[in-house]
Amino acid sequence: MSELGIPGASQRRGPTVMDVARDREDVVVGDEIVRHKLSSRIIHWTVALFFVGALLTGMPIWSPVFGWMAYLFGGLSVCRWLHAWLGVAFSAATVVMFFFWLSDMRFDENDKKFSFIDYLKFSAAEDPNVGKYNAGQKLFFWSILFAMLLVLLTGIPLWWPKSFSWRLRQVCIVLHDVGFIYWFVAIVGHIYLGTAAEPGTFRSMTRGTVTRAWARLHHPKWFRDVTGGRG
Amino acid sequence: MGAIQGFEIRRSSAALRGGGTMLRQQPTVAKYIDTSICIGCKACEVACQEWNDLPLVKTEQVGTYQTMPSLAPNFWNLIQFREIDTGPHGFAWLLRKDQCMHCADPGCLAACPAPGAIVQYQNGIVDVDPEKCIGCGLCEPGCPFDVPRYTARDNKMAKCTLCVDRVTVGLEPACIKACPTGCLQFGDKSSLLALGAHRVKQLQDDGFASAAVYDPPGVGGTSVITVLKHGDHPEWYGLPKDPSVPTTVSLWKRVLHPIGFVAMAAAIFGAIGHFMAFGPKKPVDTAKDAGKEV
Repeated sequence: MSELGIPGASQRRGPTVMDVARDREDVVVGDEIVRHKLSSRIIHWTVALFFVGALLTGMPIWSPVFGWMAYLFGGLSVCRWLHAWLGVAFSAATVVMFFFWLSDMRFDENDKKFSFIDYLKFSAAEDPNVGKYNAGQKLFFWSILFAMLLVLLTGIPLWWPKSFSWRLRQVCIVLHDVGFIYWFVAIVGHIYLGTAAEPGTFRSMTRGTVTRAWARLHHPKWFRDVTGGRG
Repeated sequence: MGAIQGFEIRRSSAALRGGGTMLRQQPTVAKYIDTSICIGCKACEVACQEWNDLPLVKTEQVGTYQTMPSLAPNFWNLIQFREIDTGPHGFAWLLRKDQCMHCADPGCLAACPAPGAIVQYQNGIVDVDPEKCIGCGLCEPGCPFDVPRYTARDNKMAKCTLCVDRVTVGLEPACIKACPTGCLQFGDKSSLLALGAHRVKQLQDDGFASAAVYDPPGVGGTSVITVLKHGDHPEWYGLPKDPSVPTTVSLWKRVLHPIGFVAMAAAIFGAIGHFMAFGPKKPVDTAKDAGKEV
């Protein structure tokens, strides 16, 4: 209790976590570390929204097994039209996201030691040199980007069938599907690792912050960097 | 035109289950074209436009005895003309009626992602339902005969229906009714194949040793069978030599689809299995908030 009698007033020293997380990241505020500033979170969820939209409008075209998804949007004819626009929106948002995170996603020497199999064993022994993103996360970022380029470029002839030869479109269908299958598998892994598999991760994309303990466990080097080694 | 009442559906695009009852016995019908006695009068073209309520399209001078350069969304029946150098003994003027071939194994239907947009009736006729067509254009890569055309509005696929509306009520297709030389016939496919064999024999006796009936097995045979004087050179008539459903369509539907389903299921069950085997990776703070799980 403060002298003024206002509950909690004594703890109010400077801006709150939410104030800081609005435009800064990689800073420690109290018990929390800001991992994603507000604009990063917004672009992530924009990409996610368009991705899910494109997925749900594309899957009923891919196979009648998912035909029920078309009803969410008003039928398959709507999907055929909407899918293309959602794909363009997704691609545009992904490009923005790319420039947001590019500087953090460059591979370094330490990334070469990363083994996905060892990582998935969830053993206690963590590489102390993992920075803000580990090599798996960087690989996911780049692969999503290349898949986006592949699916966008093969999607254009499928969008305007009369403007492109059917021989080209034949190849495009196959590559478009390959990109989709990769995406589906990758996104399941992404969602799983970001929620159930690693508790404390999801809040970094909602509230924007993680705990010190989380940072020390998953990203030791980043933790040392942001805390100045005082951990 | 939607699916016709009273006709059994043998196969339907993008169908999981369903189709007809298979109770009715509806033998495979066929259109028979004897190119050797076609005079290129174009009566079939006009009859097709008229019966199907298609606007009379402006013809295009292509420098030969041909009305248009190729089929169009509102022009489903075209007499193609070719002047071919047949070898040292001269040349031939070849006329062939081009339209949907109504394959027994239709590549368009295999490639179509819209349930019921392309159907094959029990009698072999392959039909399009524009109400269900989503205008994606994927049927074109599936067709080995370059038949599907797309409307200006919404890219709907349009093609010859073999006058299924006439056939349902026991009439022959409009093109057949209009043909003045008898080069076009309609009926049971088996009896028309017999007629074709008879005609091929006549042509062979007349010196066309390689005369043949074009009924390509690569697409399971077609419900449009064509007698060719030069049966060893179907490409002279603009027909593919050994057509089949394109490999990419099979690759995409028969290989990529199963792989996709397995990969999707593996990802989901893999994540669940991983969670059970390795559990969540929880941080436990040892220093500041000791013992507190996050």
